[in-house]
Amino acid sequence: MALADYRADAMRCTRCSYCKWIPFDLVKSSRFAKGCPSVDHNNFHNYSGGGRLVTYLSLLDGRSEVTDRVVDIAFKCQLCGNCDVACKVCRYDMEVLAALREFRFWLAEQGRVPPRYQAVIEGFRRRGTMLGAPEADRGSWAQGAGVKDLSREKAELVFHPGCRHSLGGGLESVARTSLDILRKAGLDVGLLDNGQCCGGRVYHMGYREEFARTAARVLGAWEDAGVKTVVTPCADCYHTFKHLYAREGSRVETIHMVEFVDRLVREGRLEFTTPVPLKVTYHDPCHLGRQGEPFVPWEGAEKKIFGQAVVYDPPRPRYNGAQGVYEPPRDVLRAIPGIELVEMERIREAAWCCGAGGGVREAYPEFNAWTAAERVEEAKSTGADALVSACPWCEQNFSEALRDGRAPVRVFDVLELVRQAL
Amino acid sequence: MTLSRETYRQLEDIVGAENVSDDPVVLDAYAFEVLADLVRPEQSHFMPRPVAVIMPRTTEEVQTIVRLCNRHRIKVKPLSTGWYHFAAPQSDAPTLQLDMRRMDRILEIDEKNLIAVIEPYVIAAQLQAETLKLGLNINITGAGASCSVLASSCAYAGQGPMAYWMGGNAENLLALEWVTPAGEIVRTGSLGSGDGWFCGEGPGPSVRGICRGTIGSRGGMGVYTKCAVKLTHWPGPTEWKVRGTVPAYRLPIHEHFRVYTLAVPSWDAWADLYYQIYDNELGYVFHRQFNLAGADLAPAFWLMYNDHTKTLNDVEWMAQEPGMRELTEEMRISFQFIMAGRSVRDIELQDRILDAILAEVGGWKVKRFAEEDMAEFTNMYLQRLGHKHINYVWAGGYIGSWMQVGTPDWVKGYIPIASAGLERDAASGLLVQCGGDAMMGSGSGFPGGGGTGLEQFVSYDPNDRESTKAAVRHMEDAVRDATSYGFPPGKEALYLELSKTDEQVWASLAAANQPAVFEFQRKIKEALDPNNIGDRLYSTLPADRTIPADKTPATDRR
Repeated sequence: MALADYRADAMRCTRCSYCKWIPFDLVKSSRFAKGCPSVDHNNFHNYSGGGRLVTYLSLLDGRSEVTDRVVDIAFKCQLCGNCDVACKVCRYDMEVLAALREFRFWLAEQGRVPPRYQAVIEGFRRRGTMLGAPEADRGSWAQGAGVKDLSREKAELVFHPGCRHSLGGGLESVARTSLDILRKAGLDVGLLDNGQCCGGRVYHMGYREEFARTAARVLGAWEDAGVKTVVTPCADCYHTFKHLYAREGSRVETIHMVEFVDRLVREGRLEFTTPVPLKVTYHDPCHLGRQGEPFVPWEGAEKKIFGQAVVYDPPRPRYNGAQGVYEPPRDVLRAIPGIELVEMERIREAAWCCGAGGGVREAYPEFNAWTAAERVEEAKSTGADALVSACPWCEQNFSEALRDGRAPVRVFDVLELVRQAL
Repeated sequence: MTLSRETYRQLEDIVGAENVSDDPVVLDAYAFEVLADLVRPEQSHFMPRPVAVIMPRTTEEVQTIVRLCNRHRIKVKPLSTGWYHFAAPQSDAPTLQLDMRRMDRILEIDEKNLIAVIEPYVIAAQLQAETLKLGLNINITGAGASCSVLASSCAYAGQGPMAYWMGGNAENLLALEWVTPAGEIVRTGSLGSGDGWFCGEGPGPSVRGICRGTIGSRGGMGVYTKCAVKLTHWPGPTEWKVRGTVPAYRLPIHEHFRVYTLAVPSWDAWADLYYQIYDNELGYVFHRQFNLAGADLAPAFWLMYNDHTKTLNDVEWMAQEPGMRELTEEMRISFQFIMAGRSVRDIELQDRILDAILAEVGGWKVKRFAEEDMAEFTNMYLQRLGHKHINYVWAGGYIGSWMQVGTPDWVKGYIPIASAGLERDAASGLLVQCGGDAMMGSGSGFPGGGGTGLEQFVSYDPNDRESTKAAVRHMEDAVRDATSYGFPPGKEALYLELSKTDEQVWASLAAANQPAVFEFQRKIKEALDPNNIGDRLYSTLPADRTIPADKTPATDRR
């Protein structure tokens, strides 16, 4: 696709501003009604989903030029997808999120990206990871685990911890717990490229080619190792494998670790025996929730019925958050004795983003922190003792937002509570 | 036209550099507006570009900005949520766009006195969510949950599904804080005499009609910075347990409510039923909503919408299914109706009365839409109006024609003309063909009934210039159709007005039923806007315009 392919989306935008809010039927209060961190923080209409469509329409039509402001507009956004869900409450002919990604590719191909991206992408090209951790630290969490090394052996299931879980930062316990559970379930599991990045985050930053090269390399290695299923505890990696790799031709089944644990609990193969007395609220990661929908291959074109009604031939898959992964993490939490689950107002497809996505953590630290703090405020309003998620990026962002210790809220990954309950 | 650096610096000094911009790409995001393509040369989607966009936080900042604009003769155009071409600059004269989104507070909800005080960027969904907690509700105008309550109340005319119970936009406006085009702060009604927000008409200055004008000033007469609106009793749950899968959310039906789609065999029966509903004081939400998808396709469309695995493609075959064709005929003349009781016995009585009057006019409750899924969906849709953007669902473009308001017997007179007109114009294939009757509208725009109206929903593709031109032609046709049958022009004339020259607009105002109104408004504008920094959406007739003798006010003729 090219940016010009999304011109129709801009032309059909009606500036209704649904993209700035959560779906209106779900609004429970004035305080937590807004859905788009970007426009809520930056205010000008350009920083909303619809505003970005108009921004690139203005550029495509030669009404304005690419400036630093345009770069700021395009990239100061987590690509969290709330705008896409809210728009599609009423529309079948708009692909706002896809258009926003394409806008970034278009700019990145011209070398117009936020200055802070430079060091990140150079590190990725050199070390294959988004993070600046030393090579030696990679995979240290798995030392002594005794699992197969799929660069030399074969297994049908690969466990991919994700760089955030495997490169320090105190989140390694999630990877270790996951691997323990997989092995105790009797699965033939292996590790490959331990600590390497899936490429999802560079994709969202606009580097389409780097992503494609990464995906091709990983998919080739999986094929060589006979991998049929990938399990990951990282929501970013989950979306990358399930959606972006599938678009690159992957047929490998993708399972998030909370889905796997939920399955074991349902089948009676995993039992929680230790109470965890905690009142918790669950944060839906964007890439597991509304963007965690299955990928459906599609190639087609617009056509019209009833004179002018816009449809697609063949019918175009509709990603609107209806089929995201919402219940498995909640079911796991409910199954843990002692845990009381209370909900925030903006949940499931209407969840407020943690702030870390779309390259914002890398390029706009202040906006990143503000977005996380907003979510923490919402979590506090529930009276919960803990804010729980299923993504290391969310966990890290919330932990940092709570670092001053003033709020009596702790942050966990679902799997950390699972470990306590076993 | 650009601002001088000096003027720009002055704006920065007022609100801070981060809250003002004259970057062309930022300005274009404000010039782009829905319906612009119907009134701008070459079907451009862009209205004239403002010279800058500024986001004030306080009334005092607004006043300082307006005074600065007076000094530099820059026009002022405020927008709140900013939907429709009325919200953008109206001419190439240098215009400063005020984006009011930083004024977003609910200042007060006075539960005892049924008042909410709000700033411009509070939307209906937010305010309703807060008032429901207190057992109170607000009037959500036809524009829906996404729109500014203040803008709807102070600056626009409109009805909505709840207007039958709560009254229309202007009726719900109480006291108001207004920065006039000259930069004076006016506090109206009780607020002006220091007695709070409870009354718009006194004991302080009563200027509601002056600042709103005939149909709302649409950003053409200064800036409204705070207002109070009426609240009403809400006999339902204080917390909504919304369920269902996106996009078809559902609101369970409380025991004090009944939710129906009612249908009748003829337009005569339709009018009779409306009168019976008024006379029997039934109903809380009263609206012909679902027919916006067109009488030929509406049932198939809404049942598709309620299945998240389906898309618009499916409507094509669903509409042809024998069962769906029967349902389409059953619902051809139908509307949505929600009744609320103060008790279970009350609502049961209302239901029996409704059954009796349906039997009398030969109407019925549409069974499929009374089943739990569709009834709960109807309840959610109409109690919150969070899906108004479905207006654009077929192709991204919608324009309303007709919508003249009157008694049901009068309105039914234009329905066949409006239907035939759309059928004729859509035959080209350049407009969506969904049945000649795609008309929707409030059961009544007045509390308790009396004045209804139906708006013809004309869908076109704004990404297709020929389709857009066909929509414009339809609007012009609708004006001609109305005039030739003795009806006044409808909603389309208001939209089209933005494409006309001043001379054409004045000619049209001079020919209106009461052109003297626009002479008075000119005098008001001259007094309140001496430097003409507002725009022509506050409609005025110049002093030298000739008004036909039969249009001069009766007092003058005497």
